[in-house]
Amino acid sequence: MKPKVLLDKVGFWRATAVTGAALMLSIAPMTVSAVNIPTEVTDLGKDTYKKYCSPCHGEEGKGDGPLARSMLPKPRDFTRGAYKFRTTPSGSLPTDEDIYRTVSYGVPNSTMIPWDILTEEQRASVIPVLKSFSEAFEVRKPDAPVTVGLPLRPTERAIEEGKKIYEEKLECWKCHGVEGRGDGPSAAEQEDDFGFPIKPFDFTTGKFKGGNSAQDVYLRFTTGLNGTPMPSFAKELTDEQRWCLTYYVMSLVKPEGTKK
Amino acid sequence: MKKFGIGLCLSAMLFTSVAWAAEQPLKKETPPDLYEGTPDWYRATYKDNVGLREGSGPFKDYFKPQMLDMYWQPNRHYEPMKNLDHSIFIEKERRDLCVTCHEEATPGVVSDWRSSGHKNPKSSPYLSARTAEIEKRTNRILNEVHCFDCHADTKTKQIRMPTGEVCGECHRPQFDDFLREREMGRPNHIQSWEANTIVPWYAEAARRGYLYGQHGCDLCHSGAEKCDVCHTRHKFSAAEGRQPEACITCHMGPDHPDAESYGESKHGVIYHKEEEHFDFTRPLSEVRPGKDYRTPTCQFCHMYEKHGRFIHNPVMKGIWRMGTVPPKNLEYTSSLKDYPYGIKIIADKIDIYSEENVAKRSYWLEVCAKCHSDRFADTYLKSLDEFMFQAHTLADRAQKIVEDLIADGYLYPSAADRDPYPLSDGIEKQLSPEFLGEPIYNAFKTLKGKFPVVGPILGVYGMFLQQQDNPSNIENMYNRLWFWYKLQGYKGTAHVQQDVSWWWGQAPMMMEFTKIQSEAARLRREGRIEKASLTK
Repeated sequence: MKPKVLLDKVGFWRATAVTGAALMLSIAPMTVSAVNIPTEVTDLGKDTYKKYCSPCHGEEGKGDGPLARSMLPKPRDFTRGAYKFRTTPSGSLPTDEDIYRTVSYGVPNSTMIPWDILTEEQRASVIPVLKSFSEAFEVRKPDAPVTVGLPLRPTERAIEEGKKIYEEKLECWKCHGVEGRGDGPSAAEQEDDFGFPIKPFDFTTGKFKGGNSAQDVYLRFTTGLNGTPMPSFAKELTDEQRWCLTYYVMSLVKPEGTKK
Repeated sequence: MKKFGIGLCLSAMLFTSVAWAAEQPLKKETPPDLYEGTPDWYRATYKDNVGLREGSGPFKDYFKPQMLDMYWQPNRHYEPMKNLDHSIFIEKERRDLCVTCHEEATPGVVSDWRSSGHKNPKSSPYLSARTAEIEKRTNRILNEVHCFDCHADTKTKQIRMPTGEVCGECHRPQFDDFLREREMGRPNHIQSWEANTIVPWYAEAARRGYLYGQHGCDLCHSGAEKCDVCHTRHKFSAAEGRQPEACITCHMGPDHPDAESYGESKHGVIYHKEEEHFDFTRPLSEVRPGKDYRTPTCQFCHMYEKHGRFIHNPVMKGIWRMGTVPPKNLEYTSSLKDYPYGIKIIADKIDIYSEENVAKRSYWLEVCAKCHSDRFADTYLKSLDEFMFQAHTLADRAQKIVEDLIADGYLYPSAADRDPYPLSDGIEKQLSPEFLGEPIYNAFKTLKGKFPVVGPILGVYGMFLQQQDNPSNIENMYNRLWFWYKLQGYKGTAHVQQDVSWWWGQAPMMMEFTKIQSEAARLRREGRIEKASLTK
């Protein structure tokens, strides 16, 4: 299955109820949007970007809008074409649908709200504007989205396998902490490609930046987060291992109120 | 102990202490208006929004406001942010997005709100009862008071900076109590912005390039329209407003050392030693002296109105007020006998023994009687009166020395040879005999401010603006005597802090007095020598 546009509101528990590929496939069509994304910059796109995006991302997409200076994390600088949340392989540009999804879903734990307050047409219209800020889109095309293998069920054994990967094979805890709080020994040293300190994700919050479904989390391990120290594990881990790791980090989510 | 001074202020927080007020029948249905009953010119210069284009008050054309004034005096000066147009969020009433973004953009704000009574207005039986009253009064169901409710101006579709009027939509009894400060006249909180900008030296300093030097003035005087002066945003806690610390950021320093005098008094020391035993969640009207509070707080004394009732403003019982206005009950030798010199916008002398003030004194005794015998408390307060009479007498003698020096032509540099009184041109142009009285107005008109102004209250300009040779050394000395040391002695005595009373008050007052005497003698001697040399 190729995840295309992923307006995926399917949460973890719903995902964990998935018992097999057949059922998964039956959910997938719900996530596909029929939004028409323009290929050229339009007046609507320019206006929408100027009014709603440029205050943070800057008029030229450098991530230096007037509101940016006090923000942490900093708004994305679009000029490098480095997009975190993609369905495409590590280092690739995102698809239009990937960008549309981030605009619509927002980025939890940041000031990037879900811009569903705008019409679908408005949201789609800013995509060529964002792409116009980076030469990368002129010289390259996004690679084809990665293939999502058949998901496992989140059994105890799968989670246990994920834990081993987290703790021993990849040593994820060095950044993300033993309990997944984003407080590992190397956490403070992390920087993104733009030179800003970047906090490893705190899994206990449950607000996964690229989306809360198992497939969303799986995709982060598969594609990596461009522009950040978080690499892709498409090569190091088998498809199955990535699902195990997915379920393990999702098991680290602490219900609201029990957090320290 | 008494006086105007340490005070909690403003209305607004959640469910205040003034339980009795909530039982009063609804007085009015008109929207809350902080400027209710004020004349048109007043509203036009203090309330009507001009953004940052012009100042406020009668001298508004002589200065532009400081940038921060949009937050301090929002009705007049607030401008919605230009960087990000929030109208779409208001039009679509997307309450969820306020929190989603601001949880990250300004997490402290959201965290405060989450722990406030606004987020959970029915989280305790007490809050539920107060919320039920508000629901009844406003005909709304209040399960959550949200960012949107206070910050969204649904008419203009812009973000607004809430004033007490916004708070008053729900907290009407507290708002109405606060509004009553106007009955007492200045000094009070509700007219604090007026007090800040109506004085001619504010505008004069601004046009001489000192506008931002007055940052400190603006910060304290921003208590006119805003409730978060005492109930800090975004918790807006009633309990916080009941703590003495709520008052001290403003009520300190050389002209009203309330924090210092209360804080180091036995009252204050016991509070600090035993503060964990104080139950500030209790409304003032339900505080059990000795159990909930072992000593009084600023709020407990100053917000006690009378007969067991508390009011949501701290000025109603004030007799000596800030301590600057001379009492009627003395024979003056200086021009203070003519105070306030026919000026209509300054309060008359205080009659300490007027029917109203005798009644107020009995209300003070009601408070003191929680812990002190009537005789002890009465004796203490009478001693305060005596201290004040003696202090005003000393000030009168000092003023006489300065005035005689001026009358005899020995002031140096003379008024003719120095900068005029602040903003004299503006005073002549913007004010009229109606405000200033005929004689004072005419003095400005004919002499163009080239005359000395000494003593309460217009002579205080030297504390706020020093110009070319104006005021002179001896005038500065006198300012320190009556505006600093007299007031410090007053607060030290009123708040039972012996060291403040003596070493910050009486002792320097006397030292300054003898300095004034010798400075006057020196000026006279030099003047005589100069005259003699000229006649040779």
